[in-house]
This record gives sequence, C-alpha cells and structure tokens, in this order.
Amino acid sequence: MLKIVPDTNINFIGMRKYAYLLSGVMLVLGLIAFVMTAMGNANMGIDFTGGVMLKGHFQDPVEIDNLRAALTGAFSDAAVTELTDFSKPNAYIIKWKLEAEPGVKQESSAIKNLLAEKFPTNPFTVISEHTIGPAVGEDLRRDAIWAVLISVAGILGYIWVRFDFRFGVAATAATMHDVLGVLGICYLISTEFNLLYITALLTMAGYSLTDKVVVFDRIRENLQKYRSRSEFVHAVNRSINEVLSRTINTGMSVLIVLIILFNFGGEVLQGFSLAMILGILISTYGSIFVASPIMVEWEARRPSRFK
Amino acid sequence: MSAQKWRILITLVLVVVGLLAFWPTFKLWTMSDAEREKMNLEEPGEYLELQQKAIRLGLDLQGGIHVVLKVKTEELGQEATAGAVERAMQVIRTRIDGLGVAEPNVQKQGNDQIIIDLPGYTDADRAEELIGQMAVLEFKLLESHDNATLLLQKIDSVVHAYELAKAGITPTSDTAAAADTTKAEDVDVLAELMGKDTARDTSDFDFDEDLGVSEDLNPLSSRLDQWLSTSQTGTPWPGWSVNRRDRQKIEAWLALPEVQRLIPVDVQFAWSTRVEMRNQRDGWDLYLLKRKVQFVGKYLENISLRRGQMGGHEVDFRIASEGIGRFAQLTGANVNKPLAVVLDNAVESAPIINSKIRGNGTITMGGSATIEDAVNMKIVLEAGALPAPVEIIEKNVVGASLGADSIRKGFYSCLIGLLVVLVYIAVFYRISGIIADIGLLFNIFFLLAVMAGLGATLTMPGIAGIILTIGMSVDSNILIFERIREELRTGKTVRASIDAGYVRAFIAIFDSHVTTLITALALFFFGSGPIRGFAVTLFWGVSISLYTAYVITKVIFDVRKAYQKLSI
Repeated sequence: MLKIVPDTNINFIGMRKYAYLLSGVMLVLGLIAFVMTAMGNANMGIDFTGGVMLKGHFQDPVEIDNLRAALTGAFSDAAVTELTDFSKPNAYIIKWKLEAEPGVKQESSAIKNLLAEKFPTNPFTVISEHTIGPAVGEDLRRDAIWAVLISVAGILGYIWVRFDFRFGVAATAATMHDVLGVLGICYLISTEFNLLYITALLTMAGYSLTDKVVVFDRIRENLQKYRSRSEFVHAVNRSINEVLSRTINTGMSVLIVLIILFNFGGEVLQGFSLAMILGILISTYGSIFVASPIMVEWEARRPSRFK
Repeated sequence: MSAQKWRILITLVLVVVGLLAFWPTFKLWTMSDAEREKMNLEEPGEYLELQQKAIRLGLDLQGGIHVVLKVKTEELGQEATAGAVERAMQVIRTRIDGLGVAEPNVQKQGNDQIIIDLPGYTDADRAEELIGQMAVLEFKLLESHDNATLLLQKIDSVVHAYELAKAGITPTSDTAAAADTTKAEDVDVLAELMGKDTARDTSDFDFDEDLGVSEDLNPLSSRLDQWLSTSQTGTPWPGWSVNRRDRQKIEAWLALPEVQRLIPVDVQFAWSTRVEMRNQRDGWDLYLLKRKVQFVGKYLENISLRRGQMGGHEVDFRIASEGIGRFAQLTGANVNKPLAVVLDNAVESAPIINSKIRGNGTITMGGSATIEDAVNMKIVLEAGALPAPVEIIEKNVVGASLGADSIRKGFYSCLIGLLVVLVYIAVFYRISGIIADIGLLFNIFFLLAVMAGLGATLTMPGIAGIILTIGMSVDSNILIFERIREELRTGKTVRASIDAGYVRAFIAIFDSHVTTLITALALFFFGSGPIRGFAVTLFWGVSISLYTAYVITKVIFDVRKAYQKLSI
C-alpha cells in the first residue's frame, strides 16, 4: 500500500486561530475585489465592456513602446501586450475597450489601417480578431450574473436538502470564502475579468463545494460513531484526517492537469487555469480551516449534537 | 440474469453504440489532408456526411469567422418585424453560399439577432467584407454642389473653434463670436468668416502658428480634394477624395454634436466602400447624399458581370417589371446627375445618369474595384435586399494558423495531462489504480461519442471541461479506494471491503456530481458563448463519469471473482 499521506492525527481545529487571520485578510481583499469588479474598476475584458481585441504579428521586430506610441487618436488608450507563447515572433495583442471612449464606432479595421499607416514597411498580419459591441458586452455581463446567481442558489438548495441547516450554512459560507479568496488574489495580480474567468470561478466553486461535502459527509458519519464520547472537536479532527489522503490525491490530480494546461495550453486557457489552480489550493485550505471550524465554533456556542 | 451480468451487457451495448458514434470522427481525424481532398473530389456526398457525423471543431480550434448580426427591426412596423429576421437569414444564407464555405451555420439568437459561423474559412477579409455589406442596396441622389460648399464652410468654422478649444487656447472674442453665431442658422457664415480672418491676420496669427495648432481656418475642406468630374452640362458634384490617414479625424469631426446640428436632416455624409485611386494617389471618397432613398435593390434581377469599356468592372441588371416605372421616372428626371449606389450606407460608386433607363441598367464599379469586389456585388444583388438593415454587433475572426496552433497546444496539453494523471493513479493505487484508469479512458471515449452523436462542437473551453471531467472521475475512484483501504484495515475480507467501499463512497460521489451538474446546467441555460461549450462538455462528462467511475470499475472488480489479496 503506497500512501502519500501516512495515517495522520493532526490537530487542524487547534490551528484554527491562525487560519482566521489568513482567512480574514483574504475575505477583506476578496470583498474589495468584488466591489471594484462590480463597479467595473477591475481589469475588465472586452467581453464585458465591448471593444476590439486584435492578435497578430509583425514581419520585423517592433519595440512595444513604438507600437504603443503608434496607436493614437481614439485608440491611444489601447492596451498592448506582447504574445510570447505564440509560435510566431513579434506577436502582440492589442486590446481596445469601448468604455475608454464611448460613442466611437468600434472598428477593428480602423486599428488595422492605423498600423498599416504607421508601419508601412512592416506589415501586421492579423491572426485573430474579436469585436464585441457595447450592447453585447452588457448582455454578456447580465447573462454571467444570472448564471452565477442561479448556480449558487441551486447548489445552496441542494446542500440544504442533503444535509441539515448547519452543514448547509457552513459549506456555503466556506465556499463563498474560497471564491472571494480567488477573486482577491486575481484582482491583486490584475487577471482579466472575462467570460472564461467567470467560468473558472463557477467551476472552482463547484469543486470547492464538493470538497466540503466530502469532509462533511465524513463528519456526519463520525458524529454517529463518537456520539457516546461526546467529543465534537475530536470527531471533526478525525474526519479531516481520514479524508486527508483523498483530499491531497484528488487535489494533486487536478492540479497536475491544470499546471500542464497553464504552461502548455496556450494563451487562451492561461487565465482560466490560473484561476482554477488558485481555486483548488484555496478550497482545499477552506475545507480544512474554514468549513470545519465554522461547525466547531457553532457547536461550542449552541450545542445541539450532544445534549 | 444477475445484476452483474446486466451491467456487463449494458456496458458492452454502450461500447458498441459509442464506437458507432465515434467512428466517423476517428476516420475523419486520422485522414491526411491529401486523403480528405481526394475523398471530397471523388465522393463529395459521403465526405459531407462524414463531416456532419464527426465532432465539429469550434472556430477557436480550427479557425474561421463568427459574426453576430443585429437586425434593426425598430425601423419596421410591427407586422413587418415578425418575419424580418427569418427573411434576413434566408438572404444571408443565399449570399454565404456564394462563398463556398463547407459548413456554414446561420441561426437565430434571441428576437433580432443572427449568428453566422463560417468554420475553417480562411479568407477572413473577403467573407467579412461580404457580411459587412449585408445591408440594403439603395440608390440615392447627391446634394447639390452649392449647398455642399455652404455646409462645408459652416462645419469648418465649428471644427476650427473646436480644435482651438481642444488645444487649450481660449478663442479670441472674434473666433468665439464666429463659433457662437454659426449655431444660429440664419447668420451669413461667409461674412463671419471673413471678419474672423481679418481679425486673426492682425492679432493672434503668430500665436497660433507657434503652437502649430489649427492655424488652418478650414480644417475640413482643406482636407477634401474635389475629384468628381463635372458632368457634360458643366455642373460640379460634391464628391471628395480624402487622404487615408485623415479619415479617422474627419469621422470624429463629423460626429461632433455641434457639427451634427449643422447638417440638415435630409442629407448625410457617406464614405466610399473602399479606398479609391484619384489623381495618382489613393484615398477614401466622401460624398454628401440626399437621405431620401430613390430606389431599392430588390427590384434588380438578371445580374451579370461585364468588363467595362474603360477597363473597370460593370454590373448589368434588369429592372423587375414592378420597378420599371419608378426607375425610369427617377433616371429621366435626373439625367446628367450622379446617382449613388449605396451599400450599407457606403457608396459603391456614383455614376452619372446618361439617359432615362427603362429596362436594363449598368452599375459602374469604382475604379479600384477588383474582380472579387464585382463578384461580391453580384452576390449581394442576386440574393436580394435584406428586409431590414443589419449591424454587426459581435465579430470573432480566428486565423487558421492560430486555430492550428491552439488545437495542437490544447490537444497535447490534454494528452500530457491525462497521461500524468493515469500514471499518478496507477502509482498510488497499483492494479486498482489501473482499473480506475480504464474507467477514466471509458469516460473520455463515451464523452467524445456523445458529443459526436449530438453534433456538438468542441471548443477550447470544451477541452477545459474534459479536463475537469477527468478530475471528477479521478476523485470518485480515489474516494472509493480510500474507503476500501479503510475497510481492509478493519480486517474485512477483500470482497467485503470492495463492496463496502463502493457503497459507502457513493453518497459523497453522488453529491459532488450533482453539485457539478447544477453548475453545468446553470452555465448552459444562462451563460453564453464559450461558457455554453464548457457547460455542455462538463454536463455530459460528469454524467458519464458517474457511470464509468462507479459502475464500470465495479464491473471490472467483480469479474475477477476470487480475491485473496487486493493491489490497492
């Protein structure tokens, strides 16, 4: 029997005070990120603002500063990033959000014309372009909000039915903590807020909840066993330790794939995999140090199990 | 039959069905380009069928064009609105057929939107041009030269004042007065301008020149180069050539609210459909049109192309009987005047009417028109006019090279990830791990088969969905195996431990799958675009995972009846 984790008996609940500090920081950061994103102050992708995203490469090398300087007029606010993981050299992404200059007709060809004019001897070959009108961006934003709300409501309802009230609240609260944690870190490193990123957030929320369900499932089972000993904290600790091997193996399996995806999956999936990687790390932490302690604190204040 | 035999039987049936569903995809994906070309030539019907039965690759994976059009129905009456979108789709389909795209997809979205997918179509520019032209073809008259000149002068003074203000120069009292008074329609603009001119000459001319800002009193008209030759009668017409780089600036000026107020409601500025060569240098053409639509393209029929006498392209047409009277009247009343052929509010050309046209007419294409332009024009005319104007609200063009690049990256990263996970599981759970691996492979195989059967499209986010499915599937088996290990530790027999492990892990597996399914469903019904592709693969992947990770692996364990030891 090859085991990555020996039979452990770690007092996770005992460490919860330190975890509260870390979680508190993450929560505050996450809430700030949430408010800023809701107000549109985060690095919003053109999915939600409307605009143009041009990806292409020059024939000869071009200094990124020269390229930025070339984008004048309405496009002087365009963001230029060098595309390093693409097989062609001198590749750039030019992103122009509509919010920067409302009312200007969004036209990728205008940017292309501008480039052709500024670099007459060095043609810019477009490899992909994405144009989204402001109304569409608004529609997408509304759709995304609905998808998130309904998904959260559905999951909440399910947990409520499957477990009792306390478990439901603890699992949901811990999952929200995890999502806010990812949101906060991604905000700090200025990850672009686009459709794929929302997808990643929802998926990691699903994963995070699964993780909590597995732990709670075991806690519920162990509470039956330890009922006579009336040792709530012990039952919770035992449960975390028992599923630790599963937690780590599952987490590792998914992480491996995501890390490969992050490194080799190409620029499209990079933001997605990064958010997912953070999501898995934080939700593993959240299951152990947030979800379970909530149960312990609740029980300590209002004992219900071992009356 | 025992439950176990039933499970084996069902699994075998599913495998056969899956193989049948997946076979076309396997066949198509393993064919070389040469083989595909050969089959397409020799058995085009079968090739098309093969393509339809195989898993489609999204535009992000194979390149192509995705366009969302909005049909502007608000300008139509309620009755006309009802069928407008459907008719527009019909017209668009006909037009796209002219492009020769293998599997174009035109579908309705919401009430007034049309999605057009041209997968694998590499000539993005041409398709986009054609789609961009998907508007009503109209014939409009040009505004007279005198009115146009007067309007330009008014605009010049407003733009001049605007540029000064933008540069942070407080207009002198004279220029301010000029700018103010131009807003009043009845002021003699020319006189104001003269006054301003003299004032500048004496006072602040040097000041402006030093700054290099807007010393140009006629910012707009000095950038316009009248080119349209006068007609036989000697009357000039307002058609100007604009330097390529000036177009953006002029567009911005014309869009200024102050300028918009000056333009009478019955006229409009319109650009040419493409850059034209004028006097040995090329630039955009700008026209001042009367807004009134004189004639629409839907009355044109029998469209044909012809090489013109001057070397350019000409499009011949016949007027349908119900339009003959109207067109004859229009052309008869405007002989020696230009008639603008307007596509999507851009002027294709503005030939001068030589004589009253009754049955047949010719559209002289612009001087820079290529044979493709002429063919596009023919397609647009043949397919008839759209019932309502359309606007491109979303456009996604992925070059074939990026598509090929992302498919390679997506495919290999998926493959590498899968291999590493398979090895990881086999290392930690030995023979049992290999059984889980088999379940995992079944999962992916069934998922691909379902996608082929549903005619679903595989996209980059879809690949991400497959990867998460792998995670879910692996998680189920890890949950089971950890349970089995626990049971073994309590001293139970191998047989009993396996059974108990499966039973006791079920609740957690079920819960985790249901929560993920809820997410997938919410994403599918309320998400859009890439989110949906992800939701579809996630939904099927997770549903299948419940079967492959729980049932198929159990069947494999059960087939090996007598366990003394378990490699786990």
